[in-house]
Amino acid sequence: MATVPLPPPDAQRFNTVCQFCIVGCGYQVYKWPLGRDGGPAPADNALGVDYRQPLPALSDWISPLMHSQITGRDGRRYNVVIVPDHTCAVNEGLASVRGGGLAQTLYSPERPTKARLSEPLIAVGDTHTPLGWDQATDLGARVIKAVVDRWGADAVGMKFYDHGGGGGGFENNWAIGRFFFSGLGTRTASIHNRPAYNSEIHAAGDAGLAALTNAYLDAQLADTIVIVGANPYETQSNYYLTHMIPNLNGATLKRKRAMFGAEAVERARMIIIDPRRTMTVATAEAAGGKDRVLHLQIEPGADIALLNAIARVVLERRWHDVAFIRERTEWQTFESYQRSTLAVDRPLQEVVNEAARVAGVPASQIRQAAQWIAAPKRDGARRRTLLHYEKGLIWGLKNYENIAALVDLGLLSGNVGKPGTGVSRLGGHQEAYVRPPYPGGRPALNVDEAVRRGEVKCYWIGGCNPVLTTLRAEAMEAALRERGAVVREVLLQTQGKPVGERVTRIVEALKAGGMFILTQDIYMTASARYAHLVLPAAQWGEMNLTSINGERRLRLYQRFMDPPGAAIPDWMIMARFARRLRALYLQDRNPLKANRFLDFDWKGDEDVFIHARYQFKGDGSDAMEGYAGVTYDLLRRLGNNGIQTPTQIVNGVPVGSVRLHEDGRFFTASGRARFIPAPQPWPGYAAQVTRQRARYPFWVNNGRSNHIWQTLYHHQLIPFYSEHNPMPFLEIHAQDAKRLGVASGDLVELSNDVGKVRALAYLSDAVKPGHTFMIFGQPRGAVGDLVSDHVDPTTTIPYYKGAWAAIRRISGAPEIAKTVSFLPQNVAQ
Amino acid sequence: MVNRRGFIKVSCTGVAGLVVARHGMHSVAAQSPQTSVYPIVDIAPLSSIARGAAIPFSYPDERSPALLLRVNEPAAAGVGPNNEIVAYSTLCTHKGCPVSYKPERKLFICPCHWSTFDPVKSGTLVIGQASEALPQINLRVLAGMVQAQGVSGLIYGRYTNIV
Ligand code: SF4
Ligand code: FES
Repeated sequence: MATVPLPPPDAQRFNTVCQFCIVGCGYQVYKWPLGRDGGPAPADNALGVDYRQPLPALSDWISPLMHSQITGRDGRRYNVVIVPDHTCAVNEGLASVRGGGLAQTLYSPERPTKARLSEPLIAVGDTHTPLGWDQATDLGARVIKAVVDRWGADAVGMKFYDHGGGGGGFENNWAIGRFFFSGLGTRTASIHNRPAYNSEIHAAGDAGLAALTNAYLDAQLADTIVIVGANPYETQSNYYLTHMIPNLNGATLKRKRAMFGAEAVERARMIIIDPRRTMTVATAEAAGGKDRVLHLQIEPGADIALLNAIARVVLERRWHDVAFIRERTEWQTFESYQRSTLAVDRPLQEVVNEAARVAGVPASQIRQAAQWIAAPKRDGARRRTLLHYEKGLIWGLKNYENIAALVDLGLLSGNVGKPGTGVSRLGGHQEAYVRPPYPGGRPALNVDEAVRRGEVKCYWIGGCNPVLTTLRAEAMEAALRERGAVVREVLLQTQGKPVGERVTRIVEALKAGGMFILTQDIYMTASARYAHLVLPAAQWGEMNLTSINGERRLRLYQRFMDPPGAAIPDWMIMARFARRLRALYLQDRNPLKANRFLDFDWKGDEDVFIHARYQFKGDGSDAMEGYAGVTYDLLRRLGNNGIQTPTQIVNGVPVGSVRLHEDGRFFTASGRARFIPAPQPWPGYAAQVTRQRARYPFWVNNGRSNHIWQTLYHHQLIPFYSEHNPMPFLEIHAQDAKRLGVASGDLVELSNDVGKVRALAYLSDAVKPGHTFMIFGQPRGAVGDLVSDHVDPTTTIPYYKGAWAAIRRISGAPEIAKTVSFLPQNVAQ
Repeated sequence: MVNRRGFIKVSCTGVAGLVVARHGMHSVAAQSPQTSVYPIVDIAPLSSIARGAAIPFSYPDERSPALLLRVNEPAAAGVGPNNEIVAYSTLCTHKGCPVSYKPERKLFICPCHWSTFDPVKSGTLVIGQASEALPQINLRVLAGMVQAQGVSGLIYGRYTNIV
């Protein structure tokens, strides 16, 4: 019989934050030795809940997935229960489908998470064999030094996460940045999901806006919420359910009245710009009514045309915020924006009709969107509009202008820095960026190309998996395999030989086109299989880490268990390598190089946190992550509500920021925001993309989905999730499926000039005919295998959403599809 | 008349016995070496369950609402003709709101945060924020009577199904 053990009153208790998405929901961890369970009476369990009766709805219930057993390094066994925290302002006690399974991600020798990496490994033939940390560090550091000494620091390439949450955190990011940028000084750097070291939103930065300007509270206060290229029900679930939905259904009206006094308030409206009719559209309609939800079902690549046409209507109707523009923006940028982007010399009708045609939406919807965004309210007060965007825009046709178009619309309508407004990313992972400056320029170097061309001699992949997530992924995998094989051969031949001789032979192999690959991760990923050195990292819960969520809420995620075997936090791995490189350069009597690797002597997680903190001044000039004055002790006291960054030191005490730009200042030299001109009506497709579109009939839109996190590195091991997503699914319209002779559950193959990949067909009215949608980065099929190597030349950001392919049926439903329900995923009533 | 205590007592001691539940249904606590045993409860005569039927009942006790469905296709762990008869707890495994069955959608939908569950695939979560399938009531047909005899999965609000 299904049961969950109840934590006893004396169970150890820890605060943590979900390791998955940007929302950063608060959770409580309870841990106690096996055999010492609590009882159902409130006094007999740590939750203080009366389990003698079935709990009423919306209680702190422990679902079976919220419990698991672990074994400590001392061999003692414990029960662990991880439940959502009802005192946390972010999620108010809600779990999402992903957060509800946090306990299942913990390492245990008795569950599938036993697949965790637990000791350093070296490649031997086709497999890997353990070696100790000292040997692994020595060999790796010697190879890196040899590469730097012979080819220069840029011959060492890195691809590392830069995020918060599970596997990230300020601590690890600081150590990684110190090692590669202050230490090695390489410019050949790239971030987990893209081929370069660049902002995904350069245009917002150039405009002077932070990535995350608003508080989640603003979604409760807005008159209109705009969602561009995002699906928050599925991928920012508790932000959407806890803060947006209550505004759509009127539950926050009282709060609005309390905040805004006499100002007219009503239930929020929502505008969703998305090529798919997602669960977000369905649930928004269920909560707010169809008449308060506007879904602009846009054609691929048309964001710029659509957003600029909306802005043009706003301007034409004189709904723009003249006072804001005059006082808070650089006026001359507004003038050029009107001319170039809004095409004021062309008739409104013509601009709107053109955008309607390109975007595949009725002109009336463009006008209505403009009204909902910027028309004065019935009492004449300015409408409060919260504009959110994510990967649909970021990874769209033209990264720079896509973002510019939305940011400009926000500035035009004065919707930043006030309650109920904002122009912000919805976000994917959590954030925790703190590093010394990247030594490279802009547009940033394309590291994928440098790897393929052979310029990268040593490639270090940390906490990410390019085989599944990069563009032209098959070509990347081929480079890792083929260039790696040259070094593998040498490692096999030199087994047992002194390290000096091995390094000499490895350098010969690198000269002959080889590439030395290091990976540090928690699992043996598809990319790690090609690595010569595999370094085992600690994960969430196995170290103390700090991160911010989508409203910049900084919390301490407490360590509550041991990492498996010899695994250690990423910062410790970087410190090991830094200390070894320092010693090697000292042996060379090269103090200049050796001293680049000073100050890696941290004793614990907090030492790294504090070291990084001195990047921030606390005087109002810091980036959005700034946490001047914050200590672990302070965060422990603040619990799961934490403090919102950036902090400012007032009377010696750090004070948080609920929202950014509230003082009317922006991150530009003048302190005023800048309109970023974008071409109009839209730039059209790049040559590669145009060729693909002409040759292949189906647009393969792609992205994340509700049940699973990123590449499923944890979720493929947990039946509840893997049975739901045994393979990538491909949403396809019934008309198209009929023509192809495809039914739900059938195995289909997608192919184009870049590569091919297989998926399970999922008939759905979420997509228009001719459009499909596939989840990205699934271990059994990466959509990156279809994505061309076209990047926005201004920013080096790929057009991940822009793949076109042919589709054919391979067979009926494979055995692994038997557990999958193919009922529609966008139905709410 | 069995009260909640009565159930606990039966379940904790494993004592078999005939007990008469509310609403005139009779239930038998089956003998089991386990500490907890599920009662056997009559739901409806097989002959009375037409295609498309949806019959509310309670199981394993009166505070646990459940729904018996006859779907129009074979269902996982279904009983009766073509294995079309299934039953589920109707408390959402996210936060315990009552789910309702939408025959035109073939889905259970929760009104609170819109988790949806598929009755043909063992109550699996189609989409939503629950982290468990809808608990399926194990059925059997005995002498023309459809009976509940156990539960797969943990019912919302409980740490063990028999409390
Ligand atoms: S919404 Fe995001 S942060 Fe919150 S529980 Fe779900 S995955 Fe975790
Ligand atoms: S209670 Fe059912 S979805 Fe939340």
